[in-house]
Amino acid sequence: MTPTEGFLRHGSDTYIANFAETEREVLVNLVQQIIEILAERHDHANEDPLAAMVGITTHDSPPDDEVLLRLLPNAYQDGVDAAEFRRYTESTLRDKKRAHAMSMRMLLLSATDGDVALDFENAQAWLGGLNDVRLALGVRLKVEQNSHEDLELLAPDDPMRAVYAVYTWLGWLQETLVEALMDEANS
Amino acid sequence: MGKLKPQPTVSEETAAEISAIFSSDRPWVVVVWDDPINLMTYVTYVFMTVFGFSKEKATELMLQVHNEGKSIVAKGAREEMERYVQRLHEYGLWATLAREDQI
Repeated sequence: MTPTEGFLRHGSDTYIANFAETEREVLVNLVQQIIEILAERHDHANEDPLAAMVGITTHDSPPDDEVLLRLLPNAYQDGVDAAEFRRYTESTLRDKKRAHAMSMRMLLLSATDGDVALDFENAQAWLGGLNDVRLALGVRLKVEQNSHEDLELLAPDDPMRAVYAVYTWLGWLQETLVEALMDEANS
Repeated sequence: MGKLKPQPTVSEETAAEISAIFSSDRPWVVVVWDDPINLMTYVTYVFMTVFGFSKEKATELMLQVHNEGKSIVAKGAREEMERYVQRLHEYGLWATLAREDQI
């Protein structure tokens, strides 16, 4: 199995990448973790069912976990406005992110011979989903504006070195998809 | 010297300013903040997709975020700006909204 060459555009609305088995496993594992961390934030089962139905959540305070806070950020710098906005919109955002991750997982698990073919809508789900994984890893790696050099200097046996390698690979993969989509945007 | 009686002269501009202060229609803006994780090409693409900007305009705004730490990418009614922020959050950009004069 050769390593993937990333996404390429085929025709007007298809973006195809071929993944090696190990690459698929890594991706499935990562999106699974996004699904799980989002579920940690899931509303309590005993909340007002009517409120839940219209998308109002019991959460109005930001998540404590750094990764969750980056995935579900405040929309206002002001705390009161941020809480109000979160109460009415967080569950929608969470569902959207979960849907992106689920779409990635489904397409990865059903890929024949490692081929993943995306239409425009799936491509948007993948962009968002890949980005959520990058955000999660980036927060854990404490990626900062000038920290890339430090991260490249991690000792070979430092487990974070492997995480950083995955993080940069995901960035490259996302970029191939953006470039394939931009082609279309220009044509 | 007689007392100077204040003479409020209300020009059209002043009147507009005053009504803006009391109006709930004062424009809101969407601010995108610099972020060490999101890739430059990705941010450009998201601006093109969410706001329908040309590649040139989207790149210009992305560079402003990158070089100056933030950029105002949209301005208008609060509800509309809230929808934009929500969409930017779906793509994982770090965006907030605020009153135009509070940035």
